[in-house]
Amino acid sequence: MAEKGQVDIEHLGGVIRLREEHEKVVKDCESRIQHWKKVSGDYEALNDRLKTLPDQLSYDIMVPFGPLAFMPGKLVHTNEVTVLLGDNWFTKCSAKQAQKIVDHRMKYVKNELDGLSKTIKNFEARVGFAKNLETISASKGDYVDIREEVGNNDSVVTKGKQRMAHKPNSKPKQDVFFDFKEEDEENEEESRDSGSRKCIMTEEELWARLDELEKLEELQDEQDKLSDNGDMNGEDTSSSSSEEEKDADAATPVNGLSLKPGWSALPSSTAPLRQDRKEEEDFEEEEEANCLPTIYFSHTVEPKKVRINTGKNTTLKFSERKEQKEHSKRKKKNGHSNGHAHHELHKITTPADLYRLFVDVKNGEPIPRKSILKSRSRENSVCSDTSESSAADFEERRIMGRSFSHDEATHSDTSDGITEEDSPTAVLLQPPSRFEAFSGTVIEKDPMPSAVPHLTISPPALPTILEKKQEEVAPDVAPPQQAPKRVSKFKAARLQQK
Amino acid sequence: MAEAIQKKLKVEVEKYAQMQKEVSKSMSARQKLETQLTENNIVKEELDLLDCSNTVYKLIGPVLVKQDLDEAKATVAKRLEYINGEIQRYETLLKDMEKKSEQHREVLSSLQQEFQKAQGLAVGKV
Repeated sequence: MAEKGQVDIEHLGGVIRLREEHEKVVKDCESRIQHWKKVSGDYEALNDRLKTLPDQLSYDIMVPFGPLAFMPGKLVHTNEVTVLLGDNWFTKCSAKQAQKIVDHRMKYVKNELDGLSKTIKNFEARVGFAKNLETISASKGDYVDIREEVGNNDSVVTKGKQRMAHKPNSKPKQDVFFDFKEEDEENEEESRDSGSRKCIMTEEELWARLDELEKLEELQDEQDKLSDNGDMNGEDTSSSSSEEEKDADAATPVNGLSLKPGWSALPSSTAPLRQDRKEEEDFEEEEEANCLPTIYFSHTVEPKKVRINTGKNTTLKFSERKEQKEHSKRKKKNGHSNGHAHHELHKITTPADLYRLFVDVKNGEPIPRKSILKSRSRENSVCSDTSESSAADFEERRIMGRSFSHDEATHSDTSDGITEEDSPTAVLLQPPSRFEAFSGTVIEKDPMPSAVPHLTISPPALPTILEKKQEEVAPDVAPPQQAPKRVSKFKAARLQQK
Repeated sequence: MAEAIQKKLKVEVEKYAQMQKEVSKSMSARQKLETQLTENNIVKEELDLLDCSNTVYKLIGPVLVKQDLDEAKATVAKRLEYINGEIQRYETLLKDMEKKSEQHREVLSSLQQEFQKAQGLAVGKV
């Protein structure tokens, strides 16, 4: 603390000196401006004199005789003026010509004045800033130092993948902390401060939880091939944005999701959930280590909202963030296996995966789309926006969200409609350790419960792939009669389409 | 030992002070030339604005001597060139002097260090 105090004093001294120097410049400018204004005044008077001089042929004046005496005399040749051009050069010209010359010089003077006034404004601003800095360093006034600790790739919003020089299966980078002082925003951030405090406190525990799960997941991930996720894992996975990116991008590496960092608090629906989010902030809000009240700010990511057509012209807001929450919650409940499976499902290693992920539901049967870029029909399609990830995520949620208990029902925003569907169907999902097209076991699925009549979400997979689910899965999957017969997915799709 | 260093130091300091004076002299001379340059530029502009009707005078001492307009223009142009040349010369001179003064500064600092060491030794001995 003593050191800090010393540093502050040094800073203060430096700032004081800076302010003094600025003030000197300001004074200098002021004096120059005064000089030029005088010159300008003189020229104005001269101009007037030149105008009136030729009015008369001669004037009766008192001529100065030496320094002390005057003599009455006459002023003749009133139109002839000898003008000093500079450097001992003179020219004789008429009064009007002299006036022109005077105008010329006036312009020059005006230019000088303008330049000086600009400079003075500039330096006055600097002086003001230096004063502020002084008060801050001296810890006077009600300035608050706001710190924001940002993760490595937190605020860098990228549409594509971030390139990291990591080997696959390497452990994700440790969180990089750095302080981000925002002294200029003191005034505005006062208002934001109160908002951030609430969310910070709730997120703290969530992040701690996420920390644990992440470690478990890392262990799992290292066992598998993580070609797709290698990149993402290498990033700062502990930050919220990269968490989402990892999940989302794994589903659709093609689609670049841009997550906008926002200053917002988490939506209220997340509060009841135990969010497994890591945050790297130091949640000491009023820490005096800096000799200043410090507010630590967190940079959170806004959920990406996607409008989804769910039949009969109703749309639901699909929140990307909710998706991630559920993922993390799943991880928490099911341990590593679930998280692993989650990756598996989102991972697209073969073209077949695409068809697995992007399916439509028609009359309770999963029908693969002819084209993953198109949605079949308004009624049946899941996602009306071009982002395919939401479709994938929807499916993901359906697959993975079975295990959720009713605390999910506490979701309050519109996308809850989707999640609520999951809650009644409490199914534990334990996907196999490796992603296979056919696990060899056949499971008969119950039909979809009536609890979710209005939602037509894409079912988990094609019939042949569904066998992967060894537990009781949600009832909305493929007709079981096709299960024993091994057909190619495309054929199955075609059959179903018929 | 310390005394010898001290003497050396004094000599060096004097030399350095002289260098600084010379530098400042050339600086001021150069500034003068700068003002003359601007002035002559203004005169040239004014002369260009004039036509042949008005007579041009040159002040030589207390006397105003009549000059031809074209002659005056030529004279002013020549003077401008001369001033520019002088400025260039002074600039190169200034640079050289700066370098020399830098060298002197280094020498001075090294001598000072030696002196301090010697002083420390002397104190230790005593």
